[in-house]
This record gives sequence, structure tokens and C-alpha cells, in this order.
Amino acid sequence: MNVATDMRDLSIAGLSVSGGAGPIVRDVTLSVRPGQPLTLLGESGSGKSLVAQAVMGSLPPGLTASGHIRLAGTDLLAAPAAVRRKGWGRTISLLPQEPWLALDPTMRIAGQVAEVHRFVHGRSAQESRLRAEENLAEVGLDRAGTLYPFQMSGGMCQRAAIAITHASDSALLIADEPTKGLDAALRDGVVERLKQEIAAGRLVFTITHDVAVAGALGGMIGVMLDGRLVDYGPAEEVLSAPTHPYTKALLAADPATWQRRVPTQAGAPVVTGRALAKAYGGRSLFEGLDIEVSAGEIVAVVGPSGCGKTTLGNILLGLAPAGSGTVERQGGVPPVRFQKLYQDPPAAFAPHQTIRRALADLVGLHGLSWGKAEALIARLRLGEHLLDRRPGEISGGELQRFALARGLLLDPVFLFADEATSRLDPVSQKEVVELLLEIVRDTGLAVLLVTHDGALADKIADRAVLLDRPAAWVSRRACDALTTGLAPCF
Amino acid sequence: MSTGLDVLTASRPRAVTARGAGAALIAALAAFTILGPLVIEVDPAAQDLSASLAPVGGDYLLGADHYGRSLLARLAHGARLSFGMAFLTMLTAAVPGILLGLVAAWRGGLAERAFELLANIVLALPGLMLVLLLLAFAPGHFGPLYLGLALTLWVEFYRVTRATTTSLLKEPHVEAAKLLGFGPAYILRCHVLPVIAPLIATLAAFAMATAIIAISTLSAISVGLQPPTPELGSMIVELLPYYAEAPLHVLAPAVLIVLLVLGLQLVARGEGR
Repeated sequence: MNVATDMRDLSIAGLSVSGGAGPIVRDVTLSVRPGQPLTLLGESGSGKSLVAQAVMGSLPPGLTASGHIRLAGTDLLAAPAAVRRKGWGRTISLLPQEPWLALDPTMRIAGQVAEVHRFVHGRSAQESRLRAEENLAEVGLDRAGTLYPFQMSGGMCQRAAIAITHASDSALLIADEPTKGLDAALRDGVVERLKQEIAAGRLVFTITHDVAVAGALGGMIGVMLDGRLVDYGPAEEVLSAPTHPYTKALLAADPATWQRRVPTQAGAPVVTGRALAKAYGGRSLFEGLDIEVSAGEIVAVVGPSGCGKTTLGNILLGLAPAGSGTVERQGGVPPVRFQKLYQDPPAAFAPHQTIRRALADLVGLHGLSWGKAEALIARLRLGEHLLDRRPGEISGGELQRFALARGLLLDPVFLFADEATSRLDPVSQKEVVELLLEIVRDTGLAVLLVTHDGALADKIADRAVLLDRPAAWVSRRACDALTTGLAPCF
Repeated sequence: MSTGLDVLTASRPRAVTARGAGAALIAALAAFTILGPLVIEVDPAAQDLSASLAPVGGDYLLGADHYGRSLLARLAHGARLSFGMAFLTMLTAAVPGILLGLVAAWRGGLAERAFELLANIVLALPGLMLVLLLLAFAPGHFGPLYLGLALTLWVEFYRVTRATTTSLLKEPHVEAAKLLGFGPAYILRCHVLPVIAPLIATLAAFAMATAIIAISTLSAISVGLQPPTPELGSMIVELLPYYAEAPLHVLAPAVLIVLLVLGLQLVARGEGR
């Protein structure tokens, strides 16, 4: 039963969000208390963002929320939109995903913090400036006030966004995928900041598909699937003894819990790079790098963002010129048998073409049979009905498997997987990786796996190359964490 | 009953109606310009001085001008000339503009720099001056007028094609297509064309509207086409001295120009969405 709730709680009871085609989110009941944060887990499309938008009052047009959302005793859903909008930045603030896109690119960072004091709280210009300095100092950006967002690193932008939410001094902080697109070091930094917010007594409501983030934040965890809350309870309980099959699958999908792959007998070298060097914008990414990928082998390239991992892969594939050094590909193999998997699956397909058209054109171009494509589609567990959709109408995991099928049609000897699973939810990631491993085992494909996920590389790679010359702003600790369990080959 | 259609009409009613109205207008005017001269068997240059400034609705459906020439016939021929010339000008500007844009985006390097220089030179010259310069060689002729307009209009097509294609070619799906063995023709057809086609259609409608106005304006100041060619701009000027006696006669060609340009602009606006 509802125990006498603290006046500062956020409680959501029987929340449903419906659109034209019926309810999208059904009957969600949750609560957030000071010192007891809430984290919603779930894949994209599970409705977790809609719950946050219902709390904010920023649901897309055409969607309506019903049920009760009480913040500090008042029912938010009963209030008119204009009143709710007044609460933005005062009682509720949002930590945006990918803050480097959310900050104003034409304004210095101190001004962006000060404007919250000046225009949201109506303080004087002088006082706003002083308070903004304090907010920036709190997140360790006291020297960065005169910088523009483009002069700052991803981590600094993230901290600036947190300073802005500090300035708003709101009771409730909603963090929408705060670690999306961040490498391990930055992710840990963000989690650390959010924990400080919790310790300071703010209500923190986080949305993520990263189980590690949910575990680190503690408090309560809710797991969403197809618009329903399928699991809800204290973090330790949900993570150690999940009840719902989806939660179990989600936890099992974390690379850290996977079985380590048994290294295989490597065949002949497929791609060899010798004494490779590359500089970008006057900064050396790597030099004197030797790398060799043999048939049936998975070689991981690990390192934090901006260290030149993708560039190295592109050099081996011949898409980018090396600064110096030589690349040697297996003789007598046509170039189309060297393929690449992209980070963002929808960007790797022509947006106006159906998948069927794309595959049929490829089959036609190389004089293959459509039966081969059908066999691959079945093997990658993809439904025929997906073929007539356009890339934007298919989930990321399925589209990445289509990308794999497209590459496999050409019997590749080498595949460069460029962060191929980093934008997928954990369950889809596991599916794609398992299929890839199966193919490596069966066909002797050589894989160059570029990733910022040390655990993933650790579990499936035969060898790893650590690019440890990260951009200046990434701490050394991150690199140390990434090397754990890996044997760098240079 | 409150499903997809409602959402569609609710979200983009203005663009849809604007485009529909524009298309209807263009269709009606096209029918007038194509069928008009065939149906109306009157020679637009045949004079009948006894019918000078005949009123609207009498023997002449839209009246006659000061030389007693049928205004209906002259309007139909004038509209055909304006419309046809604008279409030809647009094509002459669009085809090289798009081709040069594609080459510049694809090859980059020296070709791109050369085309950029050329485009900048053309942009630096006032468009009207270029047309007047060419007209000076053969005053009153159709050729230099059309060539001059096309020379000023191709830059837009070139610029838009080059900028869009350059960023498109950097996208992963194009890189993936190259890795999969597809050649330039396929990439152009399936990756580039679907993206630039709607932009080009919008530009084309704007370019035609610009051409129609330019032709009429130049003829009105007597440097474009010369009488007795039935041209809408020169018709206005010819009839202007008689505006007190026959105001509708002066207005008719002007209204026709407005309708042509309006139709094109509405279509372009709808396509821009």
C-alpha cells in the first residue's frame, strides 16, 4: 500500500501513453525518492523514453498520457501544458543525451550556465555570473568558462551539461541515455557525477540500455519491454535474481558475463600492415604499427574515442591512405572480398531502397543466385517480411544482420567490424556477435574488430591491438582498464 | 476513421493544397498554351484596324488591341512563347549545371576548382548585364536572350548539386556500395539521384519562374523580343498608352504572367517540403 510518501518524491502510478493506434506504454507504476534513484532499462522502442517524456510533459504531438504522476505532492498530468512548461529548469531538469549536440555552439560555456540563473531564476547579471562560476567549479570546469562547446571534449561537454542542471537547482533530474556514445572512462565519469547528485539529495531518474550503469547507480531498477514494466525492484535484487526472462536475457547479454572464446588455429595471413603511421591534424595517431590478421582469426583494436581505431581499419581496407608503411593483402583475392560492417546500420544502406532491392541488385551485379541470399537471410535468422522495408523501418539489430548478410554474399576473406555492435542494445549485440563467431568458425573469415568495449574484445578476440595514444582528454586510467586481460601485440 | 489519413492531412495540409493548386494552375495554363494556338485559328498578327481596341466579349472574346489583333490569339501565342522559352532555358541551365555539379563532387581536385571559379565569375556579373551583353550582338533575337538567361541560371543547379552530392558521397552507405563492387552509375542512380531529384525539381520551378519574368521584363523595356512577336511583356508596353480606354486589355497579359509564375512557385513550394 502507499505508505505516507515524502513530499519530495516522484511517484508514477498506472501511467499509460496512447497514440492513434492504441496504447504504447501500459500501466507503469514507479517511484523515485531522495537517495533512492530509479533506472529504467530496456531496448530502443520499449517505451522507456516515453515514460520520461510523460514526466517532463514533452510527449510528441498525438500521444496522450493517463494515470498519475505526482511530484512533491502535485499531480503533473492534471496540470495544463503551460504550467508544466514553467516547471522546466525549475522543478524538473533534463540531462540530454549526447550533450555536445545539446549545447549552443555559438555561446561560451559560462554564458550558457549563467543564463539559467539570469532568465530561469531571474537573478541579476552579476550574481548569475558568480553563481555560474561556482557551478562550473563544482564539476571541475572552473578554467573552461570561456571555451565554446566545439573547443571542449565530449567529457567536458557532459560535465558542462551537468553544471547547467546544477544551475537550475531542480528537485528532479531526468538523465536520458547519459552514457550513449561514450567510452568506458567517460561513462564511469558520468556515473560518478550522477551518484554525487543522488548523494546531494536530488531525485535522479535515469534511462539507459547499459546494465553496468544501472548497477553502478543502485536504487531501484525497472525493466521495460514492449511498453510494459516487466521487472521492478531494488537494483541488487533485479540484477542478481532476475525474475522475467527478458531481464535474464538482458543480463546474460552483457559481454562481461560471456564465455571467453577458445582461440582457433589461424590460417594464412589475409591482411598485413607493416610500420604503419598516420597523423591527423598534426597529431600522430599511431606510428610504427605492425598488424597481421589471419584467416579464422579475430583481432581486436581497442582504445578510447579518437585514438585512430577506425582509421587503422580503413587503412587496412584501402579506404584511407596510410601516412607511411605498407599494407599487404592476400594475393589473388578480388577487392570485393574485403568487407566492412558499420557502426550505425541505417547509415550503411541507401535510405530510399528496400532491402530486397539492395540485395537483388548485389546478387545481379555479381551474377549470384537469389537462393544464396535467401539461405543467408535464413541463417542470420531474419524474416522474409523484413525484405520489403526500407532501412529506416527495421530495428538496428536486424539491419546489422542484413549488413552482415550483404557482406557474406560475396564470400569475404576479411571483415572490418567498425564498432559494429556499439549502438545496438545488449540483446541484439549478443545476437549479432554470436552469428559473427559462427561464421568465423565455419568459413575461416578474418575479422578486425574495432571497439571501445574492452570486455567485448576480451571475450571474443584472439589478439588485441591497444591504441594507447588517446586524445589528450582521456585519463590514463581508462587505458589501464581497457588493457585488462588483453595482450597488446606491440 | 481517425487513422493515418487524419495525421497526414493534419500535418501537411498547406503544402499539399499549395502543391495541388499550383499543379492545377500549371496544367490549365499548359493546356491553354498548347491547345490555344491550335484551336484559335486567328493569326495573332492579322490586323483589322476597324476593330481597334474592340471591347471584351464582342466579336473578339478578349477584345482586340489598337491594331485590331485578336487578344485571345496573341495571349495564347505569348504564353506559349514565355512558357516554352522558360522551359528551354531551364533545361539548358539544369543539364550542364547538374552534370558539372556531379563531376565536381565526384572528382574534386582541379575540375572542382575550375568549375567553382567559373561559377564565381558568373555570379560576380549581374545576371541582367550578361543578358544585355549577349543581346547587343543580335538585338531582338530569341537566341542570345535564351543563352544569356541559361548562363546565369545554371550556377544554382551546379551549386546545389555539388554541395548535396559532396556530403552524400562521404556517407557510409556510398562507401559500403563501393566496397560491394557497385560502379559510379549505380551509385549515382540509387544513392545520389533519389536525394537530389526533389531539390532539382524545386530549383527547376523557381528557375522557370525567374526566366518568365526576365523575358517579359526585357521585352517590356524593348531590349528583348521586338514587336510584332506576341510576347506578354511587350504586349503590356504596346497597350499601355491606351490604358484609359481599355484597362482590361493591359491587364490581361500581366495577369497571365502572374498566373504562370504563381503556378510554378506553388509547385516548388509543395515540393520543398
